[in-house]
Amino acid sequence: MTTRTTPCAGSEAAETEVILDLDDISLSFGGVQALESISFDIRRHEIRAIIGPNGAGKSSMLNVINGFYHPQKGTITYEGVVVKAMKPYHAATRGIARTFQNIALFKGMSTLDNIMTGRVNHMHAGLLAQALYIGKNRREEIRNREFVETIIDFLEIQAIRNTPVGRLPYGLQKRVELGRALAAEPKLLLLDEPMAGMNLEEKQDMSRFMLDINEQYGTTIALIEHDMAVVMELSSRIVVLDYGRKLADGKPDEIRHNKDVIEAYLGVAN
Amino acid sequence: MDMLYNILIAPFLEIAKSPSFFAEVVIGGLMSGVMYSLVALGFVLIFKASGVFNFAQGVMVLFAALNFSGLLDAGLSIWLAFPLTVLIMVLLAWCIERLVLSKLVNQQDIILFMATIGIGYFLQGFGEFLWTGNVRKLDVGIPQDAWFFGDIMIQQSDVFAAVVAGILVIVLALFFQYTRIGRALRAVADDHQAAMTVGIPLRSIWLIVWSVAGFVALVAGIMWGSRVGVQFSLSVIALKALPVLILGGFTSVPGAIIGGLIIGVGEKVAEIYWGPLFGGAIEEWFAYILAMLFLFFRPQGLFGERIIERV
Amino acid sequence: MFYREAGDFKTTYKADQAIFPIALDRWFVVTVVLVFLVVVPLLASNYMLESILTPVLILSIAAIGLNILTGYAGQLSLGTGGFMATGAYMAYKISTAFPGLNIVFVLIAAGLCAALVGIAFGVPSLRIKGFYLAVTTLAAQFFLLWLFTRVPWFVNNSISGVPTAPPRKVFGFLVSSADSDPIDRYLFVFIITVVLALVAKNLARSRIGRMWMAIRDMDIAAEIIGIRPLTSKLTAFAISSFYCGIAGALWSFAYINTVEPTAFDINRSFEILFMVIIGGLGSILGSFLGAAFIFLFPILLNVMPGWFGLEISVTLVTQVELMVFGGMMIFFLIVEPHGLARLWSIGKEKLRLWPFPH
Repeated sequence: MTTRTTPCAGSEAAETEVILDLDDISLSFGGVQALESISFDIRRHEIRAIIGPNGAGKSSMLNVINGFYHPQKGTITYEGVVVKAMKPYHAATRGIARTFQNIALFKGMSTLDNIMTGRVNHMHAGLLAQALYIGKNRREEIRNREFVETIIDFLEIQAIRNTPVGRLPYGLQKRVELGRALAAEPKLLLLDEPMAGMNLEEKQDMSRFMLDINEQYGTTIALIEHDMAVVMELSSRIVVLDYGRKLADGKPDEIRHNKDVIEAYLGVAN
Repeated sequence: MDMLYNILIAPFLEIAKSPSFFAEVVIGGLMSGVMYSLVALGFVLIFKASGVFNFAQGVMVLFAALNFSGLLDAGLSIWLAFPLTVLIMVLLAWCIERLVLSKLVNQQDIILFMATIGIGYFLQGFGEFLWTGNVRKLDVGIPQDAWFFGDIMIQQSDVFAAVVAGILVIVLALFFQYTRIGRALRAVADDHQAAMTVGIPLRSIWLIVWSVAGFVALVAGIMWGSRVGVQFSLSVIALKALPVLILGGFTSVPGAIIGGLIIGVGEKVAEIYWGPLFGGAIEEWFAYILAMLFLFFRPQGLFGERIIERV
Repeated sequence: MFYREAGDFKTTYKADQAIFPIALDRWFVVTVVLVFLVVVPLLASNYMLESILTPVLILSIAAIGLNILTGYAGQLSLGTGGFMATGAYMAYKISTAFPGLNIVFVLIAAGLCAALVGIAFGVPSLRIKGFYLAVTTLAAQFFLLWLFTRVPWFVNNSISGVPTAPPRKVFGFLVSSADSDPIDRYLFVFIITVVLALVAKNLARSRIGRMWMAIRDMDIAAEIIGIRPLTSKLTAFAISSFYCGIAGALWSFAYINTVEPTAFDINRSFEILFMVIIGGLGSILGSFLGAAFIFLFPILLNVMPGWFGLEISVTLVTQVELMVFGGMMIFFLIVEPHGLARLWSIGKEKLRLWPFPH
């Protein structure tokens, strides 16, 4: 695999169809307004970044997209269908996978089992077949194991295949979590600060994985990240949130020179 | 039809026919309710400050009562036996903190919960080992006569228990509201880590809370022991504090009191008026089923705080 | 050195996914099963078969059941006794209503009844977690036992309220009631136990087992990757109660020969919980070790002082028992949450190197 310096799929992808459209989304907890009439869309095959200062509502945005929070106002259109009161597992069956800001792996299980768990919606053997480990279940287990092994190879984590994830260092845990999300073969992959707390080398690895995922599997990625260099390099379009409102939306170059964004980030008064 | 009549109408007719008997049933229920409340109070104190669901609270009641009555039987006066037992409960709190809780910091709730089941079993065996498992009578001079208001009979000992429980709750409320330790306790209850960063020593707070819970257990044990004798069944009856907590909410002191009274009255009334329809002894499960139904509609309890989940 | 996996190469995922991937383990398990199937019945005394091995095996089934629920799916239950009682009473009802029905089908039907009851009491787990479940499962414990003692229908209006288990045969061998041969009973229970243990192991390493563990380790993340909490929690309750129900039915039919409520009271529930914790949460092997330990320890405690010429009173034995169980439970939770089963695998670890230090 080669490292790359040019911006990826982004520019061509800008013309593809909209996979997810968010229109006028508002979300509040008690009296606190977390998101205020936010609208933007994500196009198929692009890498879309969501940025903003802490508490801007970025994670809430991802939670709305995958059905963990239900906005009080606004419509979500996914693949041309308006989705209402979707549960997280519905989102998963429709091809939305995600990783978390604070790693949410299954600590008692091995790397292999964690990633295998990501395949739940690709396995359909009945209870009896599972109880006796025969027929469809045996075939499914082996077929999915083969698929999971390709992910393990792809993420270069062969050596920790059988290690309980609770024992892995932070960077590897992040990688396993990405693997678990990938195992679902998602159409839309939501990544919540995939590089937080990583050193430069790990960030480079992670960037490479993201680009390869985007390219090889054609996965659409929505990404929250604080590292501006990474965001500018990877993403095709960026939406900027601040205090629950949308501040700007556009290509990296436009965002780089947007006055409001610079103010929000540097805190320049007027 | 008959069945419906028997369930929905007949019991109420009976209540209307003899209101003074009903009043006695309610008062009887309130009194056992006070006992449930006292046990539940110990649970709430510990849960608020350490997030530990102390299954052993019921056994702590038994353990305290065993020690107290054992010391009395050994010839000590009440004024010596009481502070000594308090000391034993503090020592117990210290041991639990040192040997169990501090080793299980950051474990899942369910693990800590199961550890307290272990503590309960150990204490039960240990208490009986020290003082033998015989039923002991406990007489600390609580008045045993009865008052009559018209047809209604009230045991003086019940009133005494209610008064003591009331005083205890007020003292605890003042302690939490106005002392430095009380403030620290509330801070810890809100957020362990934040409390630690402002310099509140978590471990000594836990020690204090478990000691206070031990003290409450002692009071409950004396009250209960004077009524029915000090015996193993104390700890089984104390299991009823669990549904009380579901009703009242795990973090609310008033909730524990009111929940205890509701369960106490509810199960007595249900037993007397509805029990015969179902073959009796519905007291055994009434509280649990009530709590279970309650969970469907208000999982956080009457006074508990609603929990918002985050990722 | 003698126990090793080196040189035991696997060339297919199929081989790596086998139930016991290491050849030596495979042979070990086969040997143990054969010993208990052939050698033990030939050598062991009737007392051993009837009063020790049979109850330990039945309790192991219950422990596997609770382990599925608590160890794998992370849902606490204090109602094991109630679910066992459901199995026992329903087995009695079914087998007296259809005297011609083979006992194996009676057991399965009784297990299914217990599973239904388990689902009913598992429903609250969808809204609540952790120790809240202690209360709803306690509700199951007290309510079910009350139901079976108070409603005469469940015991066919028997006057004593404690009916004897009807004699039933499998392939011509009498396996229930007091007249049956201890060997037949033991073998019957043993074969059922082995089948149920293998099934549990298979479930645990299949999709459903991973769903349970995911819910146990982090329920929110599990839901977000597409696991329905409803199905995975309720299947755990159902299958766990199925196991407990069969254990309860066997306890009444193949061990104590009567159907009585005291065998399934709250103490039984705690006893099974201890087996699971001391044996090892989330381990099938641990369920066996835990059951054997908890059942045998009090017996040893009664007998052992005699070996040294000491007298020890019955009350003292119960007190020591309580202290040791309580103490061990805390010890294992702190030091080794995976229980005796983990000690076993550490032992294997050591054996792999032995006799070399590293």
